[in-house]
Amino acid sequence: MENKKGGAGKLAPYCYIAPITLILVTFVIGSVAVSVALGFTKYNIMTEPVFRGIDNYSKLMSDSKFVKALKNTLELMLLIVPLQTVLSIILSVFLVANRKRFLGKLANSMIFIPVICSPAVVGVVWRELLNGKFPVIEKFFGLFGIEPSMLLGDAKTALITVGMVAVWKWMGYYVVIYSSGLLGISNTYYEAAKVDGADRIRCFFSVTLPLLKPTIILGVFLSVTNSLQCFDLIFNLTGGGPNNASTTLVVYSYSKCFSAGAAGYAMAISNILFVVILAVAMLQRNMMRREASEI
Amino acid sequence: MELVKKGFKNVISDLVLIGIIVVSIFPFIYMFLMSFKSTINAYDFDFSLEKLSLGQYEKIFQMENFERYIFNSVFVAVMGVILTVAVCSLAGYAFAKMNFKGNDKIFLFLVMTMVVPSEVIVIPLFLITKGLGWLNSYRALILPLPTAFGVFIMRQAILDVPKDLMDAARIDGCGNLKIFFKVVLPLVKSSILALSIFTFVGAWNNFLWPLVACTKAEMKTLPLALSMMKTQFNTDVGLTMACAVINFLPPFIFYVFMQSRFKEGMTLSGVKG
Repeated sequence: MENKKGGAGKLAPYCYIAPITLILVTFVIGSVAVSVALGFTKYNIMTEPVFRGIDNYSKLMSDSKFVKALKNTLELMLLIVPLQTVLSIILSVFLVANRKRFLGKLANSMIFIPVICSPAVVGVVWRELLNGKFPVIEKFFGLFGIEPSMLLGDAKTALITVGMVAVWKWMGYYVVIYSSGLLGISNTYYEAAKVDGADRIRCFFSVTLPLLKPTIILGVFLSVTNSLQCFDLIFNLTGGGPNNASTTLVVYSYSKCFSAGAAGYAMAISNILFVVILAVAMLQRNMMRREASEI
Repeated sequence: MELVKKGFKNVISDLVLIGIIVVSIFPFIYMFLMSFKSTINAYDFDFSLEKLSLGQYEKIFQMENFERYIFNSVFVAVMGVILTVAVCSLAGYAFAKMNFKGNDKIFLFLVMTMVVPSEVIVIPLFLITKGLGWLNSYRALILPLPTAFGVFIMRQAILDVPKDLMDAARIDGCGNLKIFFKVVLPLVKSSILALSIFTFVGAWNNFLWPLVACTKAEMKTLPLALSMMKTQFNTDVGLTMACAVINFLPPFIFYVFMQSRFKEGMTLSGVKG
């Protein structure tokens, strides 16, 4: 078998990695290259791209729709991330405490159903629910003095509503992540805290939260990157409206390319978002590394 | 007194748990119920048995191309899973168990592509696909599905395969490929299953890419069909909900049978850390 190691044997590993490498180079690396290059051009897909330097990027700053989309993207993120994180941590603590009981198990499986469901289905069903014709929903929101049929149609509440549906849809995902973090905390810590006379609330803040920190960092960053890229839900809930009130960068970039035919400009928009996401990813890496070295 | 207190506490947690269950699933129950309502009395919210019918499901299958949408969704998801598992486990095997020049560097290079979010590259991906002449084809929907993440997972799993087993097979005269099929793959079944679930759900629910890559009606997938219906049949709630149910069922049925695997598979991308 040693003599097989010449010639063909040396090439074998490259044959194994060739298919996926080809796929990723063509579709991912290729896309990034095309996007960066054509971000500097005026390009409408039909005719040849024309090099315009940083024209697209300087135009962005004076494009009020872009500024609005950027603002909406960040607002949506700031809306989703804290709510998602706090709620899913509380729910995880509660569900982990009740994990051995029948209803606890049931709740644990049910909360994951929205996660596996397609965002298109979630969007269409919630739009139906919020159309103001369903008495149960009417009554429920009526308790808070809210008219459900106006939630998606009103520029003031459209983005918030999209954010709430997103939090609802992804809750189970974060609950799984935080639950596994919680289950990894050794019981001895809690016993020691109990001996010191800490009550449950004290335990949560002095034992659970600090030990859960690495998981929280992970969860927060996942939530940040996911919320920055939200498209499917918005497309199916509001289509970006009313009056661009729920248009985020991905939605704006999509409509610039496929409705307005400004592909070069659209790619400049997504390049900006890419840089933002890249910065977030670097920050996450640094924080997780620091966290790991502390332990 | 302790007992009463404990009983009381249990009642409270039960109520909260029921609350969580209701909030998690009532939109889906609404979806199911409405899909059995005929168009005329959809909003009377009378769910007695004689008012429910399968009429909407009969109607939706008469819709032009509907069977085609189902076929497209199933075909793309299944082929996507097969392709992903094939290319990712092959590469994972090479990266984990073979010495070749550039092993670490190429792996790192591939892993770096994971930071590129799929939503951000949709337009250039569209241009590349268009350049290749692949718009409105299954190739366009299937080929971009495998990710470096799959390689990462498979490499991680194959690293744990004991070298002794592979050496034993080698002494028995097995070549690399035979070892891969006979020794390695059976030992990393659970990772393959997790990756399959992850890929299947991703492909099945995929929305933005098919929306961009497929303009022809006969190439559309179920989520696109559903999304189109909201404009086409604005008044026909029952029909839209029937379409939503058909969209919802496959991942849901898999989930019912493989809950823990599903959670593992779907949160894979989070666990990589």
